[in-house]
Amino acid sequence: MSVKTKEVLKDDIVQAVVVADTFGDEFLPISSDIPLALFPLINKPLIDYTLEFLSFGGIEETFLFCCSHTEAIKSHINQGIKDGAEWSLTMKVNVIVSESCHSFGDCLRDLDRKGILRGSFVLLEPGTLSNIKLLPIIRKHNEIANKDKGAAMTLIFQESGIGQMGRDPNEEAVVAVNSSNRILFHRKMGQSRERKIEFPLEIFLDNSSVSLHHNLKDTHIAICSPSVLPLFSDNFDFQTKDDFVKGLLMNEEILGSTVYCHITKGNNYGGAVTDWRMYQAVSRELQNKWIYPLQPSVLRNNIQKNGVIVGKGVHIKDNKKIINSVIGDNVHIGENVQIRDSFIFSNTKINDGVIVTHSVIGPNCEIKSKTKITVGSIIGKGVTLEKEHLIEDTLVQATEPENCDPKDKLDKKAFRLKVTGTEDDLGKILSKKLSRLHIEDNRPEESDDDAFSDSEDEELSYTQSPVPDDTKLFFTEVIDSLTRGFEDELRCEHLILEINSSRYAYNVTVREVNFNVIKAILHMSLRLSTGPQYFSQFVRLLSYFAPVLKNYIRNDDAMLDTLQAVEDVAISNENVNEKWVMFVLKWFYDKDYISEDVILEWSKTLDAKSRFYAQVKPFTDWLEEAEEASSSDED
Amino acid sequence: MTLQAEFQAVVLAAGKGSRMPEITSGKPKCLLPVGTKPLVWYPLYKLQQSGFTDVILVVLEQQKSEIQSVLDKTELEIKIEYFPISGKEDLGTADSLRMLHDRLKSDVLVVSCDLVSDVSLKGVLDVFRMHDASVASLFFHSQGGDGLVVPGPKSKHKPERDLVGIDVQTNRLVFLASASDFESELSLPRALLKKHTHIKMYSNLVDSHIYVLKNWVVKYLNSQQSFSTIKGELLPHIVKKQLSKPPKVTEGKSVLSNFDSEDIFNFAKEDEFSIAIRETSSFNDHSGDFRGTYHGDSIRCYAVVAPKDCYGVRVNTLPSYWTVNNKVNEKWDKITNGLSLALKHPKIENKSSQVDDKCVIWEGAKLNEKTSFKNSVIGSNTEVHSFSRVFNSIVMNNVTIKEKVALENCIVSDGATIESGCQIKGCLIGSNHTVPEQSEHSQEVLTDTDRLMEF
Repeated sequence: MSVKTKEVLKDDIVQAVVVADTFGDEFLPISSDIPLALFPLINKPLIDYTLEFLSFGGIEETFLFCCSHTEAIKSHINQGIKDGAEWSLTMKVNVIVSESCHSFGDCLRDLDRKGILRGSFVLLEPGTLSNIKLLPIIRKHNEIANKDKGAAMTLIFQESGIGQMGRDPNEEAVVAVNSSNRILFHRKMGQSRERKIEFPLEIFLDNSSVSLHHNLKDTHIAICSPSVLPLFSDNFDFQTKDDFVKGLLMNEEILGSTVYCHITKGNNYGGAVTDWRMYQAVSRELQNKWIYPLQPSVLRNNIQKNGVIVGKGVHIKDNKKIINSVIGDNVHIGENVQIRDSFIFSNTKINDGVIVTHSVIGPNCEIKSKTKITVGSIIGKGVTLEKEHLIEDTLVQATEPENCDPKDKLDKKAFRLKVTGTEDDLGKILSKKLSRLHIEDNRPEESDDDAFSDSEDEELSYTQSPVPDDTKLFFTEVIDSLTRGFEDELRCEHLILEINSSRYAYNVTVREVNFNVIKAILHMSLRLSTGPQYFSQFVRLLSYFAPVLKNYIRNDDAMLDTLQAVEDVAISNENVNEKWVMFVLKWFYDKDYISEDVILEWSKTLDAKSRFYAQVKPFTDWLEEAEEASSSDED
Repeated sequence: MTLQAEFQAVVLAAGKGSRMPEITSGKPKCLLPVGTKPLVWYPLYKLQQSGFTDVILVVLEQQKSEIQSVLDKTELEIKIEYFPISGKEDLGTADSLRMLHDRLKSDVLVVSCDLVSDVSLKGVLDVFRMHDASVASLFFHSQGGDGLVVPGPKSKHKPERDLVGIDVQTNRLVFLASASDFESELSLPRALLKKHTHIKMYSNLVDSHIYVLKNWVVKYLNSQQSFSTIKGELLPHIVKKQLSKPPKVTEGKSVLSNFDSEDIFNFAKEDEFSIAIRETSSFNDHSGDFRGTYHGDSIRCYAVVAPKDCYGVRVNTLPSYWTVNNKVNEKWDKITNGLSLALKHPKIENKSSQVDDKCVIWEGAKLNEKTSFKNSVIGSNTEVHSFSRVFNSIVMNNVTIKEKVALENCIVSDGATIESGCQIKGCLIGSNHTVPEQSEHSQEVLTDTDRLMEF
């Protein structure tokens, strides 16, 4: 290993930084007593896996950055070194304590001030587990950094199909990468319901090919150039690694920095415990040896039927109804207890007849008599439930929170915890829901897909091809223009201009324009007050729009469109005045908008039995008579 | 009774060459000389080589006889069936295909007349067969200009760029649009990325205009009057429709009463046996999710990207025409797969002693004494008088070049006359144009202006 290392970084040793705190409230109430780093993952503290991974990966010095529960972490690390834990043999671990840091970004700024890192280093977000070989990736990062001086970070992603359990639905991302693996676009979708993703066009035009990835999960491991720390210091609004990536991509020119990515495949696993759902997923994957050689310290007799793993000194009276769960050390479980898809931490006592499904029960709890705990409930450390309760989708802690509602007091040592912050917006509720344990596999995915199939066509029009609705939109726009024009007495030339511009906006054909404009004008006539004045008002309306009509009715086709518009309006408005059709036709004919031939030709295409034909007939009869009369005159 | 062919080949040669009106005003685009052959010969020969015995050649009515007489002399073995269409309306490629629809009984291979390439058709046909695809199309890597100076006024040539999205795992063509359709952002539906989780988006590919279409696509095209081009409308539409699902037939409603009898899914129906075979097979075209083979799509478009070392040019702009003429003889062996190249037609009258071995001389050309030729194409029945020289130029048919003319880097169209003593560099000379005596021009378009106005 050390020979390899020397190739990588001449004399320097390979360093890693692990930030131990999540700074979030994902793991309340348990995280108020135990730091995430010490969460048991199949009965072994999480941090042990992380450190093991780093030492397997060839790291020689690790800085563990803690901001809370520092004593517990420190003593755990010291104990590990004393006991000769595997990682302590090849790797030096330094615990850095800084209780003043309130975010991931603060930690890195603090590190920058301390100036203890030399050269490139590996950066791990809290709760990371992996079996990726880091040295080749560091080497690659250094090669890139030699070519591209701005290369600040290489993010490591793992290929992972949609719907995989280890893919955190809160961290869904779309990444666009060019052929040299430089990230051009990184968009964290999270729980957003957006149906479209907008890429800047220039990334496609500036690169001959761009890979769009939606098959990745973030391993929360990054290889950083030394420039990362000063970048965090210079931009104090960078709170998380995501802020960093986003900020760098957005201000690429200003900051002169670039981000690369490395995509691992196959049995290279990487993932992080970022919420309870991921806790469950990572536990499963660990249990099924996906992260080999990282393994839980389970002896053969710890593994029971139905996917149950138990710790040391566990007493179970009957285990028939315990399925897919992890039971910590020294847990007592009474008779007829059902436990399903749940995690019970150490030193907890569960009495007879209790039902626990899809929930986490912290250490040192006592659950008495027939309580039911379900739907992603989390029970904090030391909670005692005396009476019979139904606890559903609730966080419970042992100490009384501030401003506690008396209703939320369940027992002497059990209080319902309300996570502060508004939950009224949909995204937050959803992300809350999805950060719970998996209730049932795949359900959220499916509902997601259904949402897509609903209004497909709208969804699909990702190029500006005309959609059928455009004509309708055009029509409403024309009506709006004309009504406003009529009321405000705008000049018709302006209206024509307006109509034409909407025509181009909606990409409507000439004939559709004719049809819709006439239809719009006729529609307006229906809104006039009925009564004796009706027709005189109608004439005023039509005369007002005469320039518009003249502009659009230019040839025989347009005349036909006009007649069709008349037909359309008359048929779709049953209660139109009996003489309306006759009047309209006569007006258009008298003013020479429509020629006789066209009317006669058109009337032949009508259904002779329809009510509309009956309204037209008198007019055409009159026309024919007039024609005969005039032709006989000529004779 | 003959067996129905697996594919019917259609070569579209009714284009007017509107992107290079300077040289196509008096001549069908498909007859532009490219090296020793007219342009349309190249796709026809490609088809012949790939084993096609018949081809339908779509031509403009008024150009049919001219094209036919030229092609009759080229000794192609493939049987050409001419399909003349009227040139009055401005017809697009899809319009041409729509007119042909009742002649097309099999799946269709559509090739444009302006393709000069050494790529084999086998690749794209095999992908089509393998996946029982709806559409398969072939793309080239952009060849890039060689820094050649193109005749005519200096203009910055901006190639039209397409955005082509290809699923990396399956080679499905999942996105196709022209880059100019977008302003600053390209928005993709999330469903597309969920379905095809790794898409490679190319912006430097050249569409070869080789499309293999399932027969139903032609039928569908026939029902959709609004599509006028294959590349611009039909193909993007079908590519997009891959993401849609067939309309659900509600129970109790007969399919006939279904409003959308023109719905694409009524055309794209697969037969039950194919579906049954696919469902019982363990084959799946992709991994990473639990969806069935092809995601259950009945519309499937595929893209084949020719290897980087393949040569392929669409001769539809002046720069591409100019470069192809400079390259074609060099690539001849690969393009024709070993056909012997006769640069100089046996029936020429050559009295010149200075014709270098890069020159192509067509039938009936007359080169007088004391003329000099370098790296040029001299069209049939063209006459060059004494004391003239022609360097790096393309001179088409029936051109007369008088005495003491110096031509360099020019394209001279059919029937032009260049009077004596002219010095012309880097010019485009339109058909039947006469360049007066002793004129000097450089980097210009010389043409009777009214001819150009036709376009």
